Amino acid sequence: MALREAIFARPSLNHHGFIPVTTLDTNLRSTLPTQVVSAPPGLSRRCQRIHVKNRGRASGFKVCALPDWPLMAVLVEHLDGQRDFHSYKSIWHLSDKAIKNVYTFYIMFTCWGCLFFGSTKDPFYDSEGYRKDGGDGTGNWIYEKQADIEESARAELWREELIEEIEQKVGGLKELEEAGKK
Amino acid sequence: MAASFLVPKTFPLFSTNPGSVSSTKSTRAPSFIQTERNVRPHGVGGRGSVQTLAKKKNPWLDPFDEGEDPDMEYGSLFADGKQEEDPRPPDNPDNPYGFLKFPKGFNVEIASLGLKIRGDVRRCCCVISGGVYENLLFFPAIQLIKDRYPGVQVDVVASPRGKQTYELNKNVRWADDYDPDDDFPEPAEYMDMLGVLKNRYYDMVLSTRLAGLGHAAFVFMTSARDRVSYIYPNVNAAGAGLLLSETFTAESTNLSDGGFNMYHQMVDWLGRPFRSVPRQPLPPLKVSISRKLKEVVEAKVKNAGAEKGRYLVIHGIQSDSQASMQSRGDTDSLLPVSIWSEIVEDIRGVKPIFVIPHEKERENVEEIVGEDTSIIFITTPGQLAALINDSAGVITTNTAAVQLANARLKPSIALFCSEEKANLFVPNAEEKKCVIVSSKTGKLADIDIEAVKKSLNIFEVSLALA
Repeated sequence: MALREAIFARPSLNHHGFIPVTTLDTNLRSTLPTQVVSAPPGLSRRCQRIHVKNRGRASGFKVCALPDWPLMAVLVEHLDGQRDFHSYKSIWHLSDKAIKNVYTFYIMFTCWGCLFFGSTKDPFYDSEGYRKDGGDGTGNWIYEKQADIEESARAELWREELIEEIEQKVGGLKELEEAGKK
Repeated sequence: MAASFLVPKTFPLFSTNPGSVSSTKSTRAPSFIQTERNVRPHGVGGRGSVQTLAKKKNPWLDPFDEGEDPDMEYGSLFADGKQEEDPRPPDNPDNPYGFLKFPKGFNVEIASLGLKIRGDVRRCCCVISGGVYENLLFFPAIQLIKDRYPGVQVDVVASPRGKQTYELNKNVRWADDYDPDDDFPEPAEYMDMLGVLKNRYYDMVLSTRLAGLGHAAFVFMTSARDRVSYIYPNVNAAGAGLLLSETFTAESTNLSDGGFNMYHQMVDWLGRPFRSVPRQPLPPLKVSISRKLKEVVEAKVKNAGAEKGRYLVIHGIQSDSQASMQSRGDTDSLLPVSIWSEIVEDIRGVKPIFVIPHEKERENVEEIVGEDTSIIFITTPGQLAALINDSAGVITTNTAAVQLANARLKPSIALFCSEEKANLFVPNAEEKKCVIVSSKTGKLADIDIEAVKKSLNIFEVSLALA
């Protein structure tokens, strides 16, 4: 009879050190049908390393890159007097939450991409109205223009008046000079 | 003192001339921290000067304000006299040491001293209620502010019609259109204007709108130092005084009833004497007309078939147009075209030009006065002023035209609905070469046309001189 054990190959760092689940006594269990051994309740999903074959070389410390994703399942069929028969299942087992995360990220990226890359194609941003000299890049100056014109017109008026005043004064002085000469 | 102030690089102003500060004995440090209470007019009254506004100060504004401290002594720095005109040389981008782009008239290191101790005003905003006429009459006040606070930048917020008037004013920097008379402005517009005003960091905001709590709150939220406004003479003013630092109670609910000197309370306050600065006199009304404006109007006059200096301006035709430029204080100030045509009949030598405020009046005038009449369509005070400036004289009812004629010293005949109104709106008429014809019945339509015709001879004098 074969003993089948499932190893959820979840290489993970165990804070408590490597706790191997009791190696099954093949003699005892040899009569049992193929079964999937699950970890004891306290260790569920933490470290389910079961059955290390070459005990001497086994190292319990493995770095897990994707800690909570049960990426791969390994089935080990144990037959007496034969080599173990391993079968690997490489289906991704994502939890509902993980699937939700993936889709959330996908939709966020899509929205951002549409906005960002869409805006780079905006004809207004490429137009003279936005890009030409004098703009501050915000387009706001379009509305400020009228006020600016009026302001500079008044400043111009002030200068004109000043010049007029000065001319009048100079004229008066000249008249005085001429009167003095006569 | 002023000399060292002129150089912007001498930042450690106290160390460059320590003598002037320390030599004044008993100059105390807190004298620089003296707050704006010096600026308030009750100090004016206490100094034995002419007290025009005998009023109590509002105890709610500052319950601990006992008036000016008689023992307070000021140092020589920023304590007395008028503010200096822009003490900073223009920015030089080529300066090898770099330059910081501070706003003009603003020495950052010592900016607050003059503002606090002497009550300097570097930026001033005038919120003017009313139309063209009211804005035009505010011109002398703006000139007064300019004279009293040299280097001040005056901005104006007025209704769209009133804003057009500032084409004629060289003293104004920005003019924004926002109707202060609108009791329920668009929230967006309201917030926008509030933000604009707040962003400009005014030292003083003057408002000629009669303020209740609402308008006072608007002025308050500009966060200017001096918030000065007229307030209602009735219960509507409740609460406004709390938000304003200076209030003038209007004589009636319509400020324009005051005529030419409608802003006299505010002008009195603005020109108040301060320490050694004497009372600032109110300059006469003056308008300046730009070259561009003159060119535009010359073309218009030529179009109308008149000759420069050889025409009379007729203004004040009855119309429901918004551009009639009446005063709010005198609603009976427009004459129907039929009366105008009678007045114009006898004019010889010069060509009368009818100024219409709306194109729909053109037919009307052509029908009644004649097909070959000179008609000019003018809605803005700027063009009207340019037209008057080139004219031989003006015949007008009580519209902005009479004030423009007076400002440009053009001979004018002013038709008024009553003697009182005439005295209010054109005081000292003789000095201004203005002949006043007023109706005996109190209605402008009953005006004595013969009297107007008799007074036409003032234009002949001016023509002879020209």
